[in-house]
Amino acid sequence: MNRLRGTISNIEVNGNLSLVTVHLQPPLTLKTIVVETPKTAAYLQIENEIDLLFKETEVVLGTAESPNISLQNRISGTIREVEQGQLLSKVLLETKWGGISSIISSNAVRQLGLSKGMNATAFIKLNEIMLSNT
Amino acid sequence: MMQIRIQKNLEGPSGPMLLDLDLNIEKGQFLTLYGPSGAGKTSTLQMISGLMRPDHGTIYFDGQPWVDISKNIHIKPQLRKVGYVFQDYALFPNMTVKQNLVFALSKNSSSKSIMDIMDIMEIGNLQSRKPDTLSGGQRQRVAIARALVQQPQLLLLDEPFAALDLKIRLRLQDYLGEVHRTYGLTTILISHDIGEIHKLSNRVVSLEQGKIAKQGTPSEVFVGHNLSGKFKFKGEVLHIEKNEVVYIVSVLIHNEVVKVIAQGSEIENLEIGDAVMVASKAFNPIIYKIQ
Repeated sequence: MNRLRGTISNIEVNGNLSLVTVHLQPPLTLKTIVVETPKTAAYLQIENEIDLLFKETEVVLGTAESPNISLQNRISGTIREVEQGQLLSKVLLETKWGGISSIISSNAVRQLGLSKGMNATAFIKLNEIMLSNT
Repeated sequence: MMQIRIQKNLEGPSGPMLLDLDLNIEKGQFLTLYGPSGAGKTSTLQMISGLMRPDHGTIYFDGQPWVDISKNIHIKPQLRKVGYVFQDYALFPNMTVKQNLVFALSKNSSSKSIMDIMDIMEIGNLQSRKPDTLSGGQRQRVAIARALVQQPQLLLLDEPFAALDLKIRLRLQDYLGEVHRTYGLTTILISHDIGEIHKLSNRVVSLEQGKIAKQGTPSEVFVGHNLSGKFKFKGEVLHIEKNEVVYIVSVLIHNEVVKVIAQGSEIENLEIGDAVMVASKAFNPIIYKIQ
């Protein structure tokens, strides 16, 4: 599980859904959608510190920083390690906000030529980030 | 609606122990008392029901004093509107199911209520049987029915399903949840079954050595923090196997085995038999009707 820490900067509520914007330092904005509202979950308060959790298998990797795709949660960094299996590989990205692991197919690693020291960007879908207030 | 402030010196498993409780229970609440053996859970139920007298303190129910030791008030169990169900049924063996229920009927209630209760607990077809011809699950359904016949406002259950197998237990939990809602009861359950607690209760009070160690919703007490994942289940680790760069963890949830992909860092402290929470966002699961 990848874990990043930030501060809630905005909560947009509609019905049972909340679109939560979280600010990280150095400045970076990540967004997540949850089936909770400030009424049902006490931790949904602006300025609350919160952990963002997302699974390694839900992290998309790209070598271009701003491709035209719908994923708006983008975190750039440098590849620290590539652990290759026959079918799956684990790519460890070092970023200003902490380490992020991504599990992608080994085929994709070869196709993109991902290797240690390269710059890469992690993309995470809006609905794949969980919030946790430990 | 119920205020409990009681103290009682008890003989705990490791010597004398002071049970010291300060607890307010709202009407309609389903509260579970949780904690190790000897923490004071059963004694608490006995003092609420009137079977045991506290050394000090008060119990008020809807503003009425049930117990006020300083004023020498300790009203009899039968005058408190309490239904009590134990782990070991305690039905009269020489009476049929229906006779057991009629015997428990309070003076001012009608036998119609017996029919309603037999309906909701689905024991109508057992009414002329004697308890020793019933299975454990059937007997416990009768025991709950008998407690309900007394039209209690407060239902106390001391590990009612602990001796039953999982499948029966799951069904009886459904019955219990239904009667709690249908009769607008306030219910206090003693249970060690975390799945049961999550399913039924909206508040957990965890006792240790006679004191409240923790309280809150089941998630707050057992998970320790709030997680926004809506697809959450408690389970037990059965197996961990490395596959390429990931681990496959088999987890028993109720009576199904599910598999979860995990990372090395996640399984570092994980052992076979550990209780775990499996969580995902509500967005991920696919739902379809089974024909």
